[in-house]
Amino acid sequence: MGLLSNSGSFVRFSVEGDMPASFWEFAAERIAMHAFRDIDDSFEEHSIGWVSVMNMFDSEFAYASYAAGDYIALTMRIDERKVAPAVLKKFCMKEEERLKKERQVPKLSRGQRLEIKENMTLMLTKKAVPVPATYDMCWNLGDNTVLFFSTSGKAQASLEDLFKKTFDLHLVLQVPFLAAGRLIDPALEERLAELNPTILI
Amino acid sequence: MDLVDIIAEKRFLGQEFVTWLWFKSEERGGAVDIPGIGDVMVVFEKHILLEYGDGDSREKVICQGLQAEMSEARTGLRMGKKLEQARIMLGRGEYEWNLTLRASMFDFKSVKTPKTMATSEESDDPAAVEGRILEKISLYEQALHLVDEMFRMFLNSRLSDDWENELLRLRKWIKDK
Repeated sequence: MGLLSNSGSFVRFSVEGDMPASFWEFAAERIAMHAFRDIDDSFEEHSIGWVSVMNMFDSEFAYASYAAGDYIALTMRIDERKVAPAVLKKFCMKEEERLKKERQVPKLSRGQRLEIKENMTLMLTKKAVPVPATYDMCWNLGDNTVLFFSTSGKAQASLEDLFKKTFDLHLVLQVPFLAAGRLIDPALEERLAELNPTILI
Repeated sequence: MDLVDIIAEKRFLGQEFVTWLWFKSEERGGAVDIPGIGDVMVVFEKHILLEYGDGDSREKVICQGLQAEMSEARTGLRMGKKLEQARIMLGRGEYEWNLTLRASMFDFKSVKTPKTMATSEESDDPAAVEGRILEKISLYEQALHLVDEMFRMFLNSRLSDDWENELLRLRKWIKDK
């Protein structure tokens, strides 16, 4: 459902803040700084960064491949090691049973059970394979808007965060009321602010 | 006002717009005359989601069917339910877009752009890729531009003294459906 697929879902953000004078140079440096880092061979739980919209394994951006005319097209990639709740539960129960037998006690304390859960989470997370997710975005530098190809609130929050870290600029989701502010004559702004729902029947 | 409050308090604006757009498209047999652009085909089709109630007690009703059979959705409007999501076909010149618009948030879902060259026929050299990206963005932005211009039309009417007259026509349309 991304930028280049047959059917895409997206929301629009406005970009707020001042852009540096030598923007492309700044962008190249910052995109490289926040490019995606692979965690397949480490034990890190989470990694987020930019990759090419054409290839999620390309975080080098040869020939500034993110630049397309007056746009920047990038994919936000998030890799995360996740443990299924049922798997975690199984391993916790197994360990609890083992300890009860070993110590010959009928029940473990809450503290002991929490410790087991913590240890099991750590052990299973390290074993888990990172699950990748990719989300395309396209920044129109002419009118300073971003199309983001996901309607998930969680993904949108991750984008706002990564965009702020990368470019020092804020994204503001263009819900109808804010989009309206950009479309109307400034003389009507007060009326818009005071608008109340109409009864349509 | 921060974004959370805006989303909660002003969600009606997008919902009123989409309801108005349905009325506007049917008023002239599926075409909306946008100032500076001309006639654009706007057809509500197949899928409409209505909601009623507020906050935690908000409930949703999905109505699906062919264009002429959206009678459940029409009845819902008469009962005071709010139009929250609709599948809309936009047509301008030879181009046609299909999109699902979520009214309260302006989420654009499952947007199908007009067909252009098949991907398999295109090469992977950087210039061709850039061309492909630019073409796709342009197609998305053209659809957004049409929606923006129709939203501007709605706002100019909604914020003017003439809104009362437009509202009478809109209410009559809802009542007569």
